[in-house]
Amino acid sequence: MASALRSTILRHIRIPVSQTLTLNGSKLGSGSGAVAFRLFSSHADDHLDKEEVSARVLDVVKSFPKVDPSKVTPDVHFQKDLGLDSLDTVEIVMALEEEFKLEIPDKEADKIDSCALAIEYVYNHPMAG
Amino acid sequence: MAHWMKNLKVQPNSTSLEEARKRTFEFFRLACRSIPSIMEIYNLQDVVSPSQLRSTVASQIRKNSHVTNPKVIDMLLFKGMEELKNFVDHAKQRHHIIGQYVVGRKGLVQDLGPKDEGISNFLKNFYNSKYS
Repeated sequence: MASALRSTILRHIRIPVSQTLTLNGSKLGSGSGAVAFRLFSSHADDHLDKEEVSARVLDVVKSFPKVDPSKVTPDVHFQKDLGLDSLDTVEIVMALEEEFKLEIPDKEADKIDSCALAIEYVYNHPMAG
Repeated sequence: MAHWMKNLKVQPNSTSLEEARKRTFEFFRLACRSIPSIMEIYNLQDVVSPSQLRSTVASQIRKNSHVTNPKVIDMLLFKGMEELKNFVDHAKQRHHIIGQYVVGRKGLVQDLGPKDEGISNFLKNFYNSKYS
C-alpha cells in the first residue's frame, strides 16, 4: 500500500532539480564564508575589548552606593581616592565578579584595589563575558 | 557553592587578628557568591537586587567592626556561617530573609546613602519614628 502510494506520487511529482540546486548552491556560497570566519575565530571573537571592559568596570564602581559617580575615573584608587575601606573593596570586587561572570581567586582579589587593576585583570581574564 | 558548605567544620581559633580579618573576608566572599542561589531559592528577583543584598551583608559585618578579639570574631563568623548555611539549605522561609535582610532594621524606607534622595524626608522621619 505504502509503496504503491509512493510510486504514484513520485510518478506525478516533478521537482525542478536544476533550479533548487543552484538556489542551494548560491545559499551555500554566501553562507560558507561567514561559517568559516566563525569557526576560525571562535576564541578571539568573543573576547571583550578594552574599552568595553573599562566602561563596564566604571559602571559597576559608579553604581556602588557609597561612591560619588563624578569622582570615578579609570585610574582611581578605591581606598585612597574614593574613601572606601577594605570591606567595600571586596564588595566591589564581588560586584565585578557578578558583572563579568567570573570567580576571582582570593589571592588575586586581594590585589585588586584600583579601577586600573580591575580593568587590567578583567581584560586579561579569558573567561570574562 | 552549597556542596562544600555541607561538610563545613568548626575551624581552629584564629591565632591573630590578621588571620581573623582574612577569615572575615573569606566569609564575605562566600556569602556574596551564594547570593545568586539564595535569590533563586527564595524568589527574590523582584524584591531585592544582588548588590543590595551584598551591601546588607557588608553592613552586618561592619556593625561588628569594632571587635578586636580574634576569638570573638571567630564566634561571630561561626554564627554568620550558620545563618548563611540555613539560608542556602532552605532551612528558612522567604519572610525571614525579607524581614531581616531586605526590609531590615530601618523599616520600609532604606536610607542607603546619598543616592536615596528621591524619598521625601517626611516619610523617612515617619518610618524612623516610634510609630510601631
